[in-house]
Amino acid sequence: MQTTTPQLAETIGALGLGAADTGAALEVATGPAWAMLIPMLPLLGAAIMGVCAIMGVRSKLPAWITVGLLGFSAVLAAAMYAWLPENGRAVSVAWEWINVSWGDEPGQTLKANFGFYIDSLTCLWMLFVTLLATLIALYASEYMSHDLGAGYCRFFAAFNLFVFSMACLVMGDNLLLLFLGWEGVGLCSYLLIGYHYKKHSAVFAAKKAFIVNRIGDLGLLLGVFLTFVHFGTLEYKDLFPMVQPYIEAMRQGAVGDIPAVVQLIPVLLMIGAFGKSAQLPLFVWLPDAMEGPTPVSALIHAATMVTAGVYLIARMYPLFLVSEWALPIVAWVGGLTALVAATIAMAQFDIKRIMAYSTVSQLGFMFCGLAFLSSVGGAFHVVTHAFFKATLFLCCGAVMHGFAGQLDLRKLSGVSFMKGWGIVGIAMFIGCLNLAGFPFTAGYFSKDMILAEAFITPGPGYQFLGVILLLTAGITAYYTFRVFFRVFVGPKQFEPGDELHGHDGHIDDHHEEHGSASRATEADEGHTPGDHEPMGGSVEERGKKTHEHPEHFHPHAPGWAINGVLATLAILSVLAAALYFFPGADKSHKGWAGGMISGSSAALVVGGEADHPTRLAAFVGAEPEQGTLFGQDPHKIMYYVSGVIGFVGIAIAFALHYAGRKESERSAANNLLQVKPIRTAHRWANAKWYVDELYDFALRKPLWAASQIFHLIDKLLIDGLVNLVGYLPRALGKGVRPSQSGVLHSYAAAMAGGLAVILLIVLLLSL
Amino acid sequence: MSSLLVLLAPEIVLFITTCIVMIVGLWPKLEVRSLAMPIAGMGLLIAGVLAINTPANPESILPNIIPYAKAMTAGVGLLLVLLLAGTVDRSYEAAVERGELRFNPIHTNRAEFFAFFLFSLTGLMLCASATDLIWLFLALELVSLPTYVMATISTRKLRSQEAGVKYFFLGALGAAIFLYGFALLYGGTGTTNLIGIRDALAEQAASGGINPIAMAGIILSLIGISFKIAAVPMHFYTADVYQGAAAPVSAMLAFVPKTAGFIAMMGILAAVGWQYAPGGETLAADGVGTLPRSIYVTLAAIAVLTMTVGNVLALLQRSIKRLLAYSSIAHTGYMLVALIAGPSIAAEAGITSNGLGAVLFYLLVYGVTNIGTFAVVACLERPQPDGEADELDDLEDLRGLCRTRPVLGWVMVICALGLLGLPPLLGFWAKFLLFTSAISAGEIALVVILGLNSAIAAFYYLKLVTLPLLEEPEGDAPATTPFASRTFAGVLSAALVLLAIIPTGIVDAAMEAADRAGTIVPANIEAIERSITAEALRDEPTPIIDR
Amino acid sequence: MVSTFASMADFLAPAQASFPEGVGSVTLAHYLFVSVAMFTMGLIGFLTRRNLIIMFLCTEMMFQAAGIALIAFSRFYLHHTGQSFVIFVLTVAAAEAALALALVVLLFRGRESLNADQWHSLKG
Repeated sequence: MQTTTPQLAETIGALGLGAADTGAALEVATGPAWAMLIPMLPLLGAAIMGVCAIMGVRSKLPAWITVGLLGFSAVLAAAMYAWLPENGRAVSVAWEWINVSWGDEPGQTLKANFGFYIDSLTCLWMLFVTLLATLIALYASEYMSHDLGAGYCRFFAAFNLFVFSMACLVMGDNLLLLFLGWEGVGLCSYLLIGYHYKKHSAVFAAKKAFIVNRIGDLGLLLGVFLTFVHFGTLEYKDLFPMVQPYIEAMRQGAVGDIPAVVQLIPVLLMIGAFGKSAQLPLFVWLPDAMEGPTPVSALIHAATMVTAGVYLIARMYPLFLVSEWALPIVAWVGGLTALVAATIAMAQFDIKRIMAYSTVSQLGFMFCGLAFLSSVGGAFHVVTHAFFKATLFLCCGAVMHGFAGQLDLRKLSGVSFMKGWGIVGIAMFIGCLNLAGFPFTAGYFSKDMILAEAFITPGPGYQFLGVILLLTAGITAYYTFRVFFRVFVGPKQFEPGDELHGHDGHIDDHHEEHGSASRATEADEGHTPGDHEPMGGSVEERGKKTHEHPEHFHPHAPGWAINGVLATLAILSVLAAALYFFPGADKSHKGWAGGMISGSSAALVVGGEADHPTRLAAFVGAEPEQGTLFGQDPHKIMYYVSGVIGFVGIAIAFALHYAGRKESERSAANNLLQVKPIRTAHRWANAKWYVDELYDFALRKPLWAASQIFHLIDKLLIDGLVNLVGYLPRALGKGVRPSQSGVLHSYAAAMAGGLAVILLIVLLLSL
Repeated sequence: MSSLLVLLAPEIVLFITTCIVMIVGLWPKLEVRSLAMPIAGMGLLIAGVLAINTPANPESILPNIIPYAKAMTAGVGLLLVLLLAGTVDRSYEAAVERGELRFNPIHTNRAEFFAFFLFSLTGLMLCASATDLIWLFLALELVSLPTYVMATISTRKLRSQEAGVKYFFLGALGAAIFLYGFALLYGGTGTTNLIGIRDALAEQAASGGINPIAMAGIILSLIGISFKIAAVPMHFYTADVYQGAAAPVSAMLAFVPKTAGFIAMMGILAAVGWQYAPGGETLAADGVGTLPRSIYVTLAAIAVLTMTVGNVLALLQRSIKRLLAYSSIAHTGYMLVALIAGPSIAAEAGITSNGLGAVLFYLLVYGVTNIGTFAVVACLERPQPDGEADELDDLEDLRGLCRTRPVLGWVMVICALGLLGLPPLLGFWAKFLLFTSAISAGEIALVVILGLNSAIAAFYYLKLVTLPLLEEPEGDAPATTPFASRTFAGVLSAALVLLAIIPTGIVDAAMEAADRAGTIVPANIEAIERSITAEALRDEPTPIIDR
Repeated sequence: MVSTFASMADFLAPAQASFPEGVGSVTLAHYLFVSVAMFTMGLIGFLTRRNLIIMFLCTEMMFQAAGIALIAFSRFYLHHTGQSFVIFVLTVAAAEAALALALVVLLFRGRESLNADQWHSLKG
């Protein structure tokens, strides 16, 4: 097979090293002891937050401590990257955690150290996790300032705990520690979504997130369990060499030699990844998770935790490569999620929710990247997305913070032009450009890496998926700029939310959002459909009419912390593009990110150059692709195609929401919605494709019915049995009770009788 | 002879203490009479220390039991002494102090109580040293006779007298039965020495089966002694007596005669041996065996009936003391299972397969835990119209006790959970050893029944937990006795139940005590030879008191 | 039934042997019969009589039945163990009698009656 195109070389490069240096490559050095400080510092921080809460600290001290500790963690993460050994992997054991043995055979020892697996994948993840955590903690110091006191401490305690758990997840040198971190981040996510625990919707959202994640966690747990049963170890350093023979078998096309159990493990792990990374069908929790404070949404539900699924697959990539089904499933789930989430985002009005759906959509892209055998693309997109999505969220948060919880894009306009909001507007613009995939932004490059692979990687319907993803990219550009054009530019108008600081507003953080959303839905079904409610009258007048707010509401512009963080993040998201060009450690891969991936388990594949596509062909049943698109380098083609699509999306948004929104009733968007099919589609998308209702109908209702039935069975049968069990001894007791008549003679007679009976028995037994 | 005196040193100390206490009790001055309790406690302490250092008695059928059994007696006795504080003649003494009445030694029984108590404990210790049927008989009677008096005079109420009459007459009947059993056992073997009996029975068993007269003697002895341990069919008195007597005396009745009975039973069963093949009455060649079939069936039936009857009747009770009495019957049933399992005679016997050790440990744990529950009852009282305070004995009186009287409430909660056998409380380990020893002896059916009964027991023990802990208190807080040492006894037992997380030292001591019990099986001869010397025993930790 | 009698004969086999030195035709079995009869009569008396003193005397009779058996066995085995046992039994019986009489006096004061059936307030 003749391949000279650079992209395939990259693909194969990403997939692995030559077979010859396998042995050396899999050797594991001893890592530095200070690596354990990276997770431990946040844990210390969580403990200090607890002390602060007990001592009743009512200043911003907890935030500064958190920023300091996390910053130090970030420095250490950078040091870890600098330390990274020649062969790319090291294990540093903090202490022995679990070591249970029930036999001398291999596989009869469950060993899981509190140890850290340090390779470039770990470094990549830890670098952006700690950096973003530090910045967002700084942002939160201002954002959460209305809650100074116990709530502030609680927030930062959970925040620290989250970073600790995330570090365990990413750095753990075994699947059990990964699972611990996995559960830990889930717990912290639950705690932080439900931060406003007095608010019903927040509690509900927290519960939803927790429950949906449990489904995924079950898959992960089963996967971990099967891994241990089959391989007898949970430690990566032992596990990966064990997978090599299977990869070899796959390379030879001997798929039948790979046990079904090994093929099942990645599928189970994948379910865990789908739950945590909010993929179809488990994505419903993420939009609701926006009930949490915005810094949380930015850090946990956009940048870091939700990428844990991507990390899991990248980390266990060797296992995924030996399964025939795992990666195609990942591809299709990712692609469909990207599309569905993007369409929903088109029709929402709450800007934070739009961002949430866009996160779901972009996560779909990342999964596709992994599935298209471009783990570099997937991981690169994780990094760029982390920066620009954090930027976007924090901008939304700044708006929400300044406008008393207002998030409805119909009620805000021209924010960038208001006094003190310039930095927010610019940051938002940069973030939007990235998300829309505007040429030469970081998002543009990372998305291209994925899109191009779709057309050249052989797989079931991958080309079609590529088209879907292109379409999604266009939709993404549209809804992104819909937000931008509506909220940040245009005439200066606003309507404050109903959350006012200092007047226990934080208890119902954005109650307004729900009110307006429901009102909008009614409006849709009633008369004028559209995402443009009339915005007549002065702000003051409306304020008086609809809300019991003070006469003069002045949006308060973000302070230095928020502005500083936003500026930093915006610059970082621009600079992230440089990672694409900046040469990495390994010169043979494109960019720094490629170099990072190639030295890690995500590329730990031993495969000959020519053989690899053959193995895919083996189950696709098709001839291997030429690795070109229209005879050109697909990446180059894709630069043009996706650039054009991005422009089109932005242009439509401009037409509908900037140029066309001048007249309220006759706005371009409303006119468009008069067209029946678009109207219907809009309504469906607005209702999030009724996925929640579907769950309600397909799962919750039957479960409820089943629970009723079981309750009945429980009541009649189990309770009956229990009652019987309780009743029998009592009945027996009542039967025996007359023997305790209290009369001396009956006692004596019973004793003598008992003696006689026993003697009789003994006599009979001796016969 | 002098070696025997060394063995009996604790008993001698107790006897001397008893005499001193009796004399002190007749002193006209209240201050001097009040010394009775400290003196009794001191005597027990000395006896306990001496007991720990007692050497093994190779001439005994239970050669190693003495240090453990006597130290246990002294230790639990110390707790009981604390609990027994406060006398029935409190109002009389008060009247004397006020000068309303003249002091009359006949009317005071403050010290008599402690004297009788010490006599009873002396009897218990003698039981442990018994090498002979005559000795055993005298010791058992010495245990029982003082308790008859104590039950009767523990309060001035008619219910105590009723308890006394039932206890005494039925006790005399029981004593007559085991005495007749002893006589027949002597007749069937030609000796009253337990080791002699063991050899004679082994010879008979090897040559065609145990002599019917001896067998009848064994059965009668066991049934007669069942009265002491409150086992079916001799259990009827238990609830009435425990309810009628004052709570401290009931606590004592639940421990002292029961322990004496179990040690006596162990001695007799050790003479019979656990080495008989399940089918017939011949020596089992492989060293795995059980009791002779008729004895096995008798004891198994008694064990099952005892625990079941005790538990089902306890479910129905409203009186705390009656409930505890029936639970005490149930605990007897549990211990009988381990007694049937016997000391493991299999070659790889471990700590978890020694039934006798399990019984000895269980006795201690049960004694301590039970004192805690009875102490709560003993501490709560209600002023009566006649000026004499009466104990609160209704379950309802425990309602919300953790709030109204936190100390007593928590003592009740902890001790009830301990009796239930909740891990990691002391009671759990005791029950755990019962289970493991019975399982290793292959008594699966008995273990299952034991488990079921433990589940039934949870129903009523949880009443003792939930009522003080979870319920709202009703009305005023119940009054408490002025005797702080009762509360102290309760707190001490609760602390022991709670803090002795894994009482390895005590368990080891109990297992040690049961070692070499009635060994005649070839498999065990090696065990005898490598058995612990007297020196080793001296070093053995029996930290009952220091804990 | 035949087998039962055969086994009863076996049961008494050691007792059927006559005493070592000539006590005529009186064998151990005769003494044991007397002893068992006394024990049974004592038990029956205990169960049927209501008077506390008589009940106590019945238990004394059971004790003495054991005493007769002990002495007979002692004579049968030609050693003194059983006889010394009897001395102790008598001592205990005396102690028990003292206790019983004191108790009976106390009880009579309480209820003005010696009827054992009067005491049945504790039950269940």
